Amino acid sequence: MSAETMVAQEMSLSHLSSSADAPHVVQPRARGRLRVSSKLRDGRSVIDELHQAGSFKVVFPNTSRQTLEAVTVNTAGGITGGDRFNATFEAGADTQVTVTTQAAERAYRAVGPVAGSLCTDIAVQAGAEFAWLPQETILFDGARLKRRMQIDLVADAGLLFVEPLVFGRTARGEALTDVMFDDAVSIRRAGVPLFEDAVRLTGDLTAQMARRAGGAGALATLVYVGKDAEHHLGRLREMLTLTAGASLLAPDILHLRLLAPDSFILRQTLVPVLEHLRAGPLPRVWRI
Amino acid sequence: MVMPIDPALTLSQWFSPAYPVGAFAYSHGLEQAIADGDVEGPTSLHQWIADVVHHGSGRNDALFLAAAYHADDPAPLDARLRAFVASKERLMEADLLGVAFADITASVTGHDLGGLTYPVAAGRAARLAGLPLPLTSAMFLQAFVTSLVSVGQRLIPIGQTDGQKIIAALAPECAAIAQDTQTGDLDQLSSTAFLSDIAAMRHETLTSRVFRT
Repeated sequence: MSAETMVAQEMSLSHLSSSADAPHVVQPRARGRLRVSSKLRDGRSVIDELHQAGSFKVVFPNTSRQTLEAVTVNTAGGITGGDRFNATFEAGADTQVTVTTQAAERAYRAVGPVAGSLCTDIAVQAGAEFAWLPQETILFDGARLKRRMQIDLVADAGLLFVEPLVFGRTARGEALTDVMFDDAVSIRRAGVPLFEDAVRLTGDLTAQMARRAGGAGALATLVYVGKDAEHHLGRLREMLTLTAGASLLAPDILHLRLLAPDSFILRQTLVPVLEHLRAGPLPRVWRI
Repeated sequence: MVMPIDPALTLSQWFSPAYPVGAFAYSHGLEQAIADGDVEGPTSLHQWIADVVHHGSGRNDALFLAAAYHADDPAPLDARLRAFVASKERLMEADLLGVAFADITASVTGHDLGGLTYPVAAGRAARLAGLPLPLTSAMFLQAFVTSLVSVGQRLIPIGQTDGQKIIAALAPECAAIAQDTQTGDLDQLSSTAFLSDIAAMRHETLTSRVFRT
């Protein structure tokens, strides 16, 4: 089952149960749908298929590089309750694709019980390399966000995956006292589970993070799949602070978890780590 | 005439420190947290274990155990657990405890549990032996708590009385988590004991170590 179908089923159920309690005026909410695939032409990765609908757009900065770089844009300006965004990416055989976001994604206060949802399905074909490098997702107080990420790799496909998450505008001292965040990531190779992670947080996140994350205001999860994963471990460990860890789950799978007081300090570690693993700079949008 | 055995007696044998699974050799990252000074006495030890049990491996292992109890074929669950663990040493811990538990349990009960990680093997064994699920899960969790308390007693150190107080205080929580997780719904998996996961990763490079994880 794709990430999108899973959430669609669960959301229709949650909607039924909520409408039974109190009649609820359903406001028109943002919908966005995106599909991008790549193919190889003259040794370069180029767009194969492109569909975009609603509040989800994608732009392709003219980078004259071998890699196809896609930058997604949420034209609704954020995600709130009832919004639904679905994206599908496919890296065709032997292509190199990088996907990032134009800005940090903001999950705003939801009115009513229905969560906003963001579902991403990624397929990486033989010999292809895919980099998932979104900028931070920022949870605001009152946010209700459900995210599903399903990544399917063919045997020798490569992956660099990161998700930076920020708990509110810490610089303003804003506390997150009422949040629902339901996030699951699944990476499979040839149908076999390779990496899974789930972060489900409800209620007073500021209080919960105080103990379980040493009061961190930002965190990042990073997964690298590649034949040279083991080779990078020692160097990456040297780059990490005491509130971050790296581990080799298998000879070709690296997992890093990083905690930081805020998103600025998180980037001080995360950006060099990502540049090391990419052996090159991050997409331009990360640097402006 | 053979009297039926009280399930509690079988489970207390399986999850006793005397059952040769070797749980005493693993700290689940706690050794690193103690080395870092994050855990330094009875209160911080209690909090650290409570967080891991509620928000990390404890509750997640209980979900996998329950799912394995309900499953005709535990292999797909075992593959998911291996993908879900946060670090190399956590994987080793789940794997080697599972091997040891399967070996001794096969010898004692005749049930084949080969190749499964510890929570999946425990759920499978309880199913094959016809033991009740919530009690199996609660005692599995309490064995985990007891093992972590013994790490604290050895390394901090804290005294036996403080250690037993922590185990007693967490007993109702082990029982509550066992109840909550008995459907084995893996959509409830959630790994938010972030510092404990990072400690488990950092333990891989801890130079002076007593425990394997």
